[in-house]
Amino acid sequence: MNDLSVQFQGVSKKYRHFTLDNISFELPAGSIMGFIGANGAGKSTTIRILMGLVHQDKGAVRVLGHAMPAEQAAAKLDIGFVSEDMRLYGAASLAWHMEFIRSIYPHWDQPYAESLLKRFDLKAEQKIKGLSHGQRVKAALLLALARSPRLLVLDEPTTGLDPVARHEVISELMAVLADQERTILFSSHNTLDVEQISDQITFIDRGRIIDSADKEVFLDRWRRLRLVLPPDAALPRVPGIVEIGGSGRLPVLTTNSFEPAMLSACQSTGATVQAVDSMTLEEIFVANVQSRREGQTV
Amino acid sequence: MNYSMVKILIMKDWYLLRWAILASLAGGVISLGIIATGNKAAFMLGLILLVTVLIVAGAHIASTTMVTERKEQTLAFIMSLPISYREYTAAKLLANLLMFLVPWLVLTLGSIALLAYPPGKSMGLIPFTALMSVEILVSTCLIVAVALISESQGWTIGAILVGNVALNFVGYWVAHIASIAKGMEGSSVQWTPAASALLLAEFATIALILGSAFFFQARKKDFL
Repeated sequence: MNDLSVQFQGVSKKYRHFTLDNISFELPAGSIMGFIGANGAGKSTTIRILMGLVHQDKGAVRVLGHAMPAEQAAAKLDIGFVSEDMRLYGAASLAWHMEFIRSIYPHWDQPYAESLLKRFDLKAEQKIKGLSHGQRVKAALLLALARSPRLLVLDEPTTGLDPVARHEVISELMAVLADQERTILFSSHNTLDVEQISDQITFIDRGRIIDSADKEVFLDRWRRLRLVLPPDAALPRVPGIVEIGGSGRLPVLTTNSFEPAMLSACQSTGATVQAVDSMTLEEIFVANVQSRREGQTV
Repeated sequence: MNYSMVKILIMKDWYLLRWAILASLAGGVISLGIIATGNKAAFMLGLILLVTVLIVAGAHIASTTMVTERKEQTLAFIMSLPISYREYTAAKLLANLLMFLVPWLVLTLGSIALLAYPPGKSMGLIPFTALMSVEILVSTCLIVAVALISESQGWTIGAILVGNVALNFVGYWVAHIASIAKGMEGSSVQWTPAASALLLAEFATIALILGSAFFFQARKKDFL
């Protein structure tokens, strides 16, 4: 219990046009979870509930040992939060923001903050309204990282960034990962960003968690099998089929339970296995969402 | 309640609005200067300017610290800090009141001083001035509470409208209460039981408005 940074149990939240339905997941201390979903899937609502900023209608949430939202003030003392829709005060300088956060967080690391200023090529005396979007995201990230949080919650931090800024942000996050004590929840619809830094992946769609596992488990078990069938032969029975593509005698089977033994099973039915393709996280995500939406067995 | 955190949030709003507070003070002092010329037309102009400065100051502070905070998405930054809803509510109410009380107190005392000196000239207007000054405070508290609960520009503009109309109605009504009206023309301060009752009612309204703000904030389920 104590080594869980985040614990959601049966959490639901109902809005007029959207329902977050029975969300349960756990995030062990020191792990990095990528939270992937399309726009409007429920990522931000889940994160706002995690932060205590939205009250759940049902279910229990514990963050760093604190019940949310009741004990949010104590929990947030150890959380660094950066969200795509979070802005800093335009009329104030970054130096003022740094001083403001330093006055609140006892573990503020000034040398680290200054090193991030250099690494992100930011000027402390510059006013926030004069910064580009990428610089603003980096400024928010600096303020979150330098407070030395035990839990870092990043809600779509790379959205809207140009490729260079995105690379810088992801690189810094990867450097932060060296700290084994820190837990990170990283939400994005950009699977490439998530794939680079996460060791656990959770997919959310239409307010429900549809899959959650270690990243390597996803990458190992999801495969596309390209087959050639003999005339009039039936499709071989392969476990965990989520999608059947291709056509006629050249089917492409997508499975989420790949094992090498499957190949001999296919061949024993007379089929020829032309190729076994690995899948990117994005392909896995899309196939997973589509199969769930179409109600196929996974 | 984490008082240290509340204090930090108040100081933050104070810093971000320091120029607006100074501008309202400057505007108020100019209005008082116009009143002090002694000319009747200048007195009316200065009075209108003074009331306008106070109403605009209250509305601007409330709008900037709460409505703009949501509109410009700085609320997410503030709510990510280690604070509870109660602390946020307390910080916003106190910050707004303290920031408004600076020009309000200076300008109210300045107005009373102008009426008191030279002694015996317009001192009869002091009770009416005091009652109307507190009414401006009531109106500002209403705007602050509505801005805090709704975080909406539309609702806040509605509250400014209601507060302004109420100020005119109350002014007209108070000026026509016989015991108060009688003393307004006099050269000495005549503080009547009616004036005491009105002042008490105004402070009770302020307490009710601020209490309601806490009540409704405590029932909010979504802060972003």
